[in-house]
Amino acid sequence: MSITATDIPTIPAPKREWSRYRHPQSTIRFAVILAILAFLGWSVAFLNIDLSRILGAFPRLAEILATRYFPPDLDYVTDADFVRSVIRTLEMSLLGGFFGVLFSIPLAWLAARNITVSRRIAYPLGRFAIMGSRSIHETIWTILFVTVLGFGMLAGTLALTVFCIGFAGKLFSDELEAIDMGPVEAMRSVGASPLQVFQYAVLPQVRVAFTGIAIYTWDVAFRAATVVGFFGGGGMGWYLKRTTQQLESTRVAAILLVIVGLVLLAEIGSGWLRRKIGNMR
Amino acid sequence: MRHETIIAEGRAERGLPANPVGAMSILEVRNLKVSYTASGPQILKGIDFAVGGDDFCAVIGPSGAGKSTLIRCINRLVEPTEGDIILFGQSVRPLGAGDLRRLRRRIGMIFQEFNLVNRMSVMDNVLSGRLGYTGAFRSFFKAFPKEDIDRALHLLERVGLSDHIDKRADALSGGQRQRVGIARALMQKPEILLLDEPTSALDPKISRDVMGLIRELAAEFKVPVLCNIHDVQLALETCNRIIGMQDGYKKFDGPSEGMRKQDLDEIYAMEVL
Repeated sequence: MSITATDIPTIPAPKREWSRYRHPQSTIRFAVILAILAFLGWSVAFLNIDLSRILGAFPRLAEILATRYFPPDLDYVTDADFVRSVIRTLEMSLLGGFFGVLFSIPLAWLAARNITVSRRIAYPLGRFAIMGSRSIHETIWTILFVTVLGFGMLAGTLALTVFCIGFAGKLFSDELEAIDMGPVEAMRSVGASPLQVFQYAVLPQVRVAFTGIAIYTWDVAFRAATVVGFFGGGGMGWYLKRTTQQLESTRVAAILLVIVGLVLLAEIGSGWLRRKIGNMR
Repeated sequence: MRHETIIAEGRAERGLPANPVGAMSILEVRNLKVSYTASGPQILKGIDFAVGGDDFCAVIGPSGAGKSTLIRCINRLVEPTEGDIILFGQSVRPLGAGDLRRLRRRIGMIFQEFNLVNRMSVMDNVLSGRLGYTGAFRSFFKAFPKEDIDRALHLLERVGLSDHIDKRADALSGGQRQRVGIARALMQKPEILLLDEPTSALDPKISRDVMGLIRELAAEFKVPVLCNIHDVQLALETCNRIIGMQDGYKKFDGPSEGMRKQDLDEIYAMEVL
C-alpha cells in the first residue's frame, strides 16, 4: 500500500503567528551589536592604528629573530648557576602554590555564599580577601614585597602565595557554591558543628575538584614564577632581566626557550595528573 | 477560624475529644506561622497540633500545602516567623546555636533525596549520625568510639545492608540508600523522628518496604514519628494518625481509621493540577 497525498492529514491554518525575533528585543539586540562594532571602528581610527605597519612588523620580527637571536646560547642555560636558578623558581612556585592553596581553602569557605559562617560578616571579608589578592597583578605584588623585604626568594614566594590565594580562592569558592546542599542539611540536622559539617558534608563533595584546582594553581604559579624574578623576586627571571638589559640576545633566546619548555612540561604534567584525578570521581 | 470549627465538629461526630493536643505530648506546635520573606506569602498560617509518645503521625495534603515547611520548622532548618514549638518540654524558637545543636542531635531526620554523602562509605555515612555527640578531635580523625561502631554495625544489619558496609553510598540503589538514611537517623538514638517525604524518590513497592521498616523500627525503639508524605494510601496503611493540611491550614487531625472519603476530598479540594 502506498501513501498518497490525501492520506496525510492537513494541518489547520494557525490561529496566531510565531517568530523567534520580536520587535523590541530584536531591534535592541541589533542596535547593541551595531554600537559595539561602531565603538571598535572608532577606537581603531582614534588610536591612529596603521594596519600596514602592523602587517609589516611580522617579517621584521622574523628577520630580527633570525639574525640577532639565533643561534640560542645553549651553553649559558646549561651553566650550573642558571640551572640552580631554575630549581629555585620551581621551589618558589611549589611553596607559593602550597601556602596559597592552604590559606585559600578557609577563605573560600567564608566566601561561599551557601555555606559561609555568617553572611553579614564572614562572607564580605572572605570575598574581599580573595578579590584583593586577585585584583593586583603578581608583578605588582613582587614589587611591593621587594620594597618591604628586599630582593630575593622570600619576596617572590610571598608574592606567589598571594597570587595563588586569589587564583585558587576564587575557583574554590565557585566550586563550594555549586555543591549539593542536601548532605549539609543532613549533617546540620544531626547536630554537627560547622567544622564537622564542612569536613563531612562539604569536603567529600569537592575533594576531587579541589585537587585538580590545586594542581592547576601550581601550573599557573610556575608560569608566574618565571616572571617574578624580573622584578627582584629571585629565580630565573633575574637572568632574563640581566641578559635583556645587556642586549645579549642569543642568551635571551636560550632562556625563553627554557621557559617555553618548562611551562610546556608543567602543563603536560598537570594536565595528566588532573585527568588521573578526574577519573577518580 | 472556619477550618478549626470543621475539624472540631468532625472529631465530635466520631466521638473524639475536640482538642487533639494531648497531655503526654513530646512535641507541641502552637499557632505556627511561616513566611520565607518579610513581604512574601505566608506558607503556614497558624498550625496547632501535638505529637505523643506512640504516635506515627502522617502529614498529608496537596503540594504547596506547607507539609515540608512544617516538618523543617521543628528542628529549625526553616525559621518560624510566629508561634511556639515545644519539643521535649523546651521551647525551640529562642535557642542559640549551641543549644540548637544539642537539641538537633535528639531529633532523627530522614529526607526525600536521602541526603547521603555520595563519596563517603556507607559506614561513614551511618557513623556521621553520631557527629553531634563526637568531639572535634575524634571527628577530625574519624575515630568514632567502639560503641558507636558496634551500634552502626547492628543497625546496618537491622536494615539489611550488612553486605554493603564499605561500599560508597552512590553505589547503592535508591531503596538501599534510604535504608542508610534510616540507620543514620537511628544512630542518634533519637527521641523523635522527622520524615520529610521519605518515599517519594522510590518506586511503590520499595516505598512500602521502607515505610514498613521505619514503622517496625520506630516501634522497636519506641520513637514517635512525624512523617510528611504525599501518598495517601501509604499514609493510611502505615500511620496511626493523620494530619491533613491545605494551603497552610490544618484541615484534619485524627486517627487514620477515622479518615473518611469526604475528609480527603476536603483536604485535596483546592488542588490545582
